[in-house]
Amino acid sequence: MSTSTVKPKAMIQDNTRCIGCRACMVACKSWNDLPEDKTVFFAGEGYQNPRDLDANNYNLITFNEIVTGAQPDWVFGRQLCMHCEQPACASACPTTAMFKTALGPVVFDESRCIGCRACMQACPFIIPKYDYDSFAPKIHKCTFCADRLEVGMDPACATVCPTGAITFGDRDDMVVEAKRRIASSPSTYIPEIYGLEEVGGTSVLHLSSVPFEKIGYVTGLPKTPMPDLTHRWLRATAPVFAVLYAVFGALNWIVRRRMRRQGHEGEHT
Amino acid sequence: MNWRIRLTWWDKTLLVIMAVAGIIAFVRFATGIGTIANINNAYPWGWWVGYGIMTMIAIGGVGFTITALAEILGVHRYHSFVRPAVLMAFLCYASAITMLMVELGRPWMVWMVLVSWAPTSALYEVGWCAFLYLTVLALEFARVPLEQAGWNRTFRIVSAIYIPIMLLGVTLSHLHQSSLGTLMTLIPHKVNLLWWSDNLPLLYLFSAMMAGPAMAIIEHLAAARWLGFAPRMDLLAGLARIEAWLVGLFLAFQMGDLFYRGAADAMFTASWLAVSFWVEIIFGLMLPFVLLMMPEVRESRRGLATACTLVIAGVLLHRLNVAVIGLSARHWETYFPSFGEVGITLGITAAALFAFGWLARILPIHEELPAPQTSRRAAARPAGALRSAEGVS
Repeated sequence: MSTSTVKPKAMIQDNTRCIGCRACMVACKSWNDLPEDKTVFFAGEGYQNPRDLDANNYNLITFNEIVTGAQPDWVFGRQLCMHCEQPACASACPTTAMFKTALGPVVFDESRCIGCRACMQACPFIIPKYDYDSFAPKIHKCTFCADRLEVGMDPACATVCPTGAITFGDRDDMVVEAKRRIASSPSTYIPEIYGLEEVGGTSVLHLSSVPFEKIGYVTGLPKTPMPDLTHRWLRATAPVFAVLYAVFGALNWIVRRRMRRQGHEGEHT
Repeated sequence: MNWRIRLTWWDKTLLVIMAVAGIIAFVRFATGIGTIANINNAYPWGWWVGYGIMTMIAIGGVGFTITALAEILGVHRYHSFVRPAVLMAFLCYASAITMLMVELGRPWMVWMVLVSWAPTSALYEVGWCAFLYLTVLALEFARVPLEQAGWNRTFRIVSAIYIPIMLLGVTLSHLHQSSLGTLMTLIPHKVNLLWWSDNLPLLYLFSAMMAGPAMAIIEHLAAARWLGFAPRMDLLAGLARIEAWLVGLFLAFQMGDLFYRGAADAMFTASWLAVSFWVEIIFGLMLPFVLLMMPEVRESRRGLATACTLVIAGVLLHRLNVAVIGLSARHWETYFPSFGEVGITLGITAAALFAFGWLARILPIHEELPAPQTSRRAAARPAGALRSAEGVS
């Protein structure tokens, strides 16, 4: 496929349709060939297993006990890489080991990685994970099945969902579809598409029946791309370098000329 | 020239700490970071980055601060502080890079930074600047051992390029000291409101400047004590006056920034983070500012040592507050540095102190350039040479 016809892809995660079967988690492990984990119960909100993403889990359905109406109910949420339009992780990477492809996936090239973990620190959604116990650790996160997308297949998780909670397609179409669902069933959905504008837009669009902060999502993120925060400083690097060097050079020249006139030359250099 | 020194109990203690850290480092490289460190998926950077890299580079700011003061602003009377300052800076940066080699998951790939083009990454800029600045510091300092060893031709070459190299060093320092702050501006959702600011690059730069004279004063007092020369209290009082101004201005800038971005309320919440903030402000800035404003403190060794140590501790706490303590990612994840993490940083710091102590005894670093006519034997016994340096103003 030529680059001119490439349309960025996106995925709708419709949490109102999710039944918590975790087929997507199984498909993800299967496609990415990830080992099993020994998991433990934990205290606090949530009932999923494991509690959070880790080096062996790129995709996680969260189980949230929410009181809707008279009694508590399970409301499901999902953690996976959001594949930001302008990813903070990629902007933070000093070796461009993390980068966004034309189709949408934010992917990791381990052959360039130095292991600084700046991407983990940078991610507003707290997604990239690390295998600290490895001798040659790698960054682990959802790849959006970039390898499948390259050959025209859908991401593994999107192919197995039995209730249609995961919908995959061109991002433009997915945005239209997400808006259509909210408009056609306002009693089911809260009027918010998580990922439409967060950090400048992402390739995963979440829908929900309850506010996103109640099901473990990071909320309150800016609508502007995260890399803007550092860009406004870093773009000044070259001019600041030139100006400072010139100013310091001029000051030093004046000082040395004054020293020479006072006959202190030799003491100073 | 004579490279040998008689080891004191202090040197031997440092060697023991280095040996312990060496064992921990061996375990880390044999089995991975996870065996010895508590850093985790929510806190990918911990004590190693907060202390071992960020604080080390901040206090390494002594190099460009003192160089700029003496060479660029032309306050010539502080010129005798340049050599120790440059050596301290070199050892701080060398420590930070050693720390990086332990802290990186794939240290054997670190050269990749130098063959990449990643202008959007603050870490990329820090990496390049720190690499270049370490080279600059080595060239700046090289004149001392070269002259001492009698390598006159190399000495002349290095001296000929001193001015442009020195200017490059001061400029690079401004860039990467601020870029370390830029690194943290990317994560407003993780760094607590008390510390996250659009102006973190400037806060980092100014606090590194603030660390400069404080380090120079501490070094001079320590060297005077252990090498046995009379400290130049007149010069230290002058540096202390500059330090008071830097601390006062930084305090005003930090508080002003806090009010300007409307985060002042966060100071008065009942939380451990607010406590950490007040410790930083009161003991790291207000107290040393008040102390350094008093002439009797500026004229007393103990007073100067106390005030300047508080400043350095305050800079350390600021870096830790921004990069570790004030950070939250997942509320159920916690982080406290492990014995292994602290042990390795202590070992690296011990190595830097040992190297400084060794070089201070075999090289005339507490003297002015050009060095007084000292015989080889005199260079091996620096106390005499140091006394002769007292006459230089």
